[in-house]
Amino acid sequence: MPHQCTNCGRGFEDGSQEMLSGCPNCGGNKFQFRPEGADSSPPSEEPPEPPEPPGGNSTVAKTVGKTAATVRDIVGSDEPPAGAEPADTGDASGTVNAGSTDAEDAAQASARGDVVSPDELPDHAPEGDHQFDPPAADSAPSVEPPADDTQDRPDLQELREELNSQFESVKVLAPGQYELNLMELYDREEYIVALQEDGRYSIQVPEPIQE
Amino acid sequence: MGLLTNLKDSISRAAASLFSEEDPKRIGIYGPPNAGKTTLANRIARDWTGDAVGPESHVPHETRRARRKENVEIERDGKKVTIDIVDTPGVTTKVDYTEFLEHDMEKDDAVRRSREATEGVAEAMHWLREDVDGVIYVLDSSTDPFTQVNTMLIGIIESQDLPVLILANKIDLEDSSVQRIRNAYPQHETIPLSALEGDNMDEVYDKIAEYFG
Ligand SMILES: Nc1nc2c(ncn2[C@@H]2O[C@H](COP(=O)(O)OP(=O)(O)OP(=O)(O)O)[C@@H](O)[C@H]2O)c(=O)[nH]1
Ligand SMILES: [Mg+2]
Repeated sequence: MPHQCTNCGRGFEDGSQEMLSGCPNCGGNKFQFRPEGADSSPPSEEPPEPPEPPGGNSTVAKTVGKTAATVRDIVGSDEPPAGAEPADTGDASGTVNAGSTDAEDAAQASARGDVVSPDELPDHAPEGDHQFDPPAADSAPSVEPPADDTQDRPDLQELREELNSQFESVKVLAPGQYELNLMELYDREEYIVALQEDGRYSIQVPEPIQE
Repeated sequence: MGLLTNLKDSISRAAASLFSEEDPKRIGIYGPPNAGKTTLANRIARDWTGDAVGPESHVPHETRRARRKENVEIERDGKKVTIDIVDTPGVTTKVDYTEFLEHDMEKDDAVRRSREATEGVAEAMHWLREDVDGVIYVLDSSTDPFTQVNTMLIGIIESQDLPVLILANKIDLEDSSVQRIRNAYPQHETIPLSALEGDNMDEVYDKIAEYFG
């Protein structure tokens, strides 16, 4: 079942029409794309190998776009290379790496493209291209990083502050405490559909229905 | 790419069935948490389709995902007006799990609810950007309507030139003041109602037909 409802976990065949009008189980309208053989754990768990192989499948997932909502975990290593994304038919400007000059978008595009290693983080470029790359790629949501690799990671608090300064649409004050910037949320082309305590976001890239 | 073609086909079909014929307007029900949006959505849906839209609760942020009810046919003066209603999560600028602890919730659940509520606000704001053709703005008339959230949302709605109907809900409550809402947003028509008791729903349906028909 390559597609999965992010709410109740129900799986769907590729090309399933059921998804188009929301999950028949729970009414959820966010779906995650998973290739055959990937484990069925929710997105907050340890990321499997790239769930969207570059090329055809990722386009299929994206084509579902606006109607059924494809969740893309924009951070971490489970994204296809940025180069695999565009190229398709009249690919709308709504995709994050469609070349917007907006700093956020550029950052997102970069984050999608390559994963910055944790030890690059603290003294990396002052702005722009690593905020989507919290090093806690393998941590469970809302927990402190495991002790064994803390030395490789910037302090969570630091990370949060950094995220906050770049992404003012949602400020994570503490687990379960958020401040929202409604204007920013409204202005975003894409929108956040899943928050994790380490600052990771899943976003949906809306895509107009073609034809 | 058979797969891709299939999917595209099915999308066009879905799109065709979605947008064919009279093309119902999609009306977003917006407002702060706990205003009674879901109660109203359920009442409209029950009155005209027999179904409900989602759970209502006195605990804020009960709705954390936008929910749609499509093809709601409202009859007014022998004419039919078809709309899709979207019940959205209550919009706020702050979500704090400690608020939910007062409602006898475990910390884990409260933190999760808080996260989902935040995601829900993001979703609601996104829908407002491009996916609604009109707005029903629901306010609890027993509370102060002049808040940052209300002002900002109504401002955004105005800037989009969307038709908007302000509903002063909970007029069955003693502290209710419809005038306070009229004073805060004099540029819009305000309709009093009690979604819970079903008071003044006739006028609400008249106005829905007038504004969104
Ligand atoms: N007295 C009174 N209570 C109402 C009325 N409408 C809704 N309520 C109550 O207000 C509470 C909140 O109602 P909901 O419909 O869940 O509110 P909501 O706006 O959908 O809230 P969120 O989903 O949290 O944003 C519930 O306890 C309802 O029973 C009304 O007209 N009068
Ligand atoms: Mg609700």
